Amino acid sequence: MKPLVKHILRVTAIVLVAVILGLVVWIMLNRIGLSDSLDFGAGAYYYADIPEFDKIVNWDGYTARLPYWVYLVLFFAWGFIVWKLWKWIDRK
Amino acid sequence: MKQSKVANLYKSEDWLSVWIGFIVIAVACIAVATGAFDFSAMNFKTWTLGESLTEAQSAKIVPLGQQLASGAFWIKTLVTFGVLGLLFTIGAKLTGEKVRKFLPAFVGVFLLSIVVRMISAEFTLNRYLEWAFWALIVGMLISNTIGTPKWLKPAVRTEFYIKTGLVIMGFSVLFSNIAKFGLYGLGIAWLVTPVVILFMWWFGTKVLKIDNKPLVITMASATSVCGTSAAIATGAASKCKKDDLTMTISISIIFTVLMMVFEPIIIKACGMSPIMGGALIGGTVDSTGAVAVAGSVLGGEAEKAAVLVKMIQNILIGFIAFFVAVFFATSVGRKEGEKVGAGEIWNRFPKFILGFFVASLIASFVILPLDGGKELVSGINKVLGQYKNWCFVLAFTCIGLDTNFKDIIHQMKGGKPLILYVVGQVFNILLTFLAVWLLLSGALFEVPVLD
Repeated sequence: MKPLVKHILRVTAIVLVAVILGLVVWIMLNRIGLSDSLDFGAGAYYYADIPEFDKIVNWDGYTARLPYWVYLVLFFAWGFIVWKLWKWIDRK
Repeated sequence: MKQSKVANLYKSEDWLSVWIGFIVIAVACIAVATGAFDFSAMNFKTWTLGESLTEAQSAKIVPLGQQLASGAFWIKTLVTFGVLGLLFTIGAKLTGEKVRKFLPAFVGVFLLSIVVRMISAEFTLNRYLEWAFWALIVGMLISNTIGTPKWLKPAVRTEFYIKTGLVIMGFSVLFSNIAKFGLYGLGIAWLVTPVVILFMWWFGTKVLKIDNKPLVITMASATSVCGTSAAIATGAASKCKKDDLTMTISISIIFTVLMMVFEPIIIKACGMSPIMGGALIGGTVDSTGAVAVAGSVLGGEAEKAAVLVKMIQNILIGFIAFFVAVFFATSVGRKEGEKVGAGEIWNRFPKFILGFFVASLIASFVILPLDGGKELVSGINKVLGQYKNWCFVLAFTCIGLDTNFKDIIHQMKGGKPLILYVVGQVFNILLTFLAVWLLLSGALFEVPVLD
């Protein structure tokens, strides 16, 4: 990579980091984006980290029309295709 | 030779993390199923530094002093320390560590972890950044100021805690969730996610020419799957460096805060339907909590769609970690024309992934189908969720204790990882939007009704 491009990349990254961190601190100070009815926020990384998660996630409001095995077959078929594609990209 | 392979089962950290995870899961199952004893781990309730809160927000606040004065709090702390201290000490002893060196060190790391959990339970800090971030900060503050004391080092065993946490986490990954939102969910979560991973792999390794492949794959899965949890799993599967994991998780956590706030605003401004907006949020915002919060801004239907899509992505963690482990065992570091035999693949393969899958299979196909299985699995996961968090807090505190600020700056490599994340996330949003539009706009398929 040319030195000028490298320099531009570095400066862009520094400016981006400063702007992003500033925004996040501003959001936190003003407690923006939170919901009064939910006792958690972005810090609940995984579904089991959510307090009383069963009320939020164990909800069956949609009934799947196809048998379960169809979803499994589609899931694995797509996984297989992507796996082959990944190996091919890496070899190239 | 045979003897050493058998000895691996109880002497290697990889296998020991599987057994420790299984023991914790088994005890939690017995405790919840019989109700004979309380096995739940210590957890701070939300407290506040004095911020002005609404009435609804204040309702769940328990002052820190009140928590610390409670006998139940200290009993749970002792139970948590007893369980983890005993299991990890036995594990460390079996891997050749001296108990008299490991135990005091573990007490030190555990005390630091209590501080981390206390900080991350504060109202504002809890809602935006939580434990992984604060564990890294507390650890790094020590290592980069007074330095990590020598006596603490025997318990600085990041991989051991992470692998154990992942085996425990496996129990919460339920395969039945694949069909929870029919072909819509599968299309949005499963069609897009691997494509984003492949795009980021190509962009990171071929365009940005980042030679650190574990960093690229860890960042790709954090961006496309579910942030911190996916980064932990894939990072362990690809054996990435601690600095790589630190950087990936820091970037993901910070961008999640931004996306949680701005994505619903942009979606509203675009006039997208709630179900489309929710699905887009579910497919692109990294952490599950942020997905639910951002979805709720767009209304009940959007929140449901967002959570449904995210739940499917949560299942992908195990599969993606598995294939990353196989890929790195078979392809990465292999010379041109060199064939890696099955034995070598098995040697290189991280065994804790098997523990993760076995735990997931037991929860999905043994316990869940039982009468009342849904409630039972949910109850067990409430207990296990805290043990998983304790393992991860121990791990991230250790990462902080092992991290030098200079190394992190060196790892930034002129901003390439940040560019990789930003470009990958933009691609993720565009592709998810395309899938959401195709499936949920009504242009091609019937729009589903979420009751």
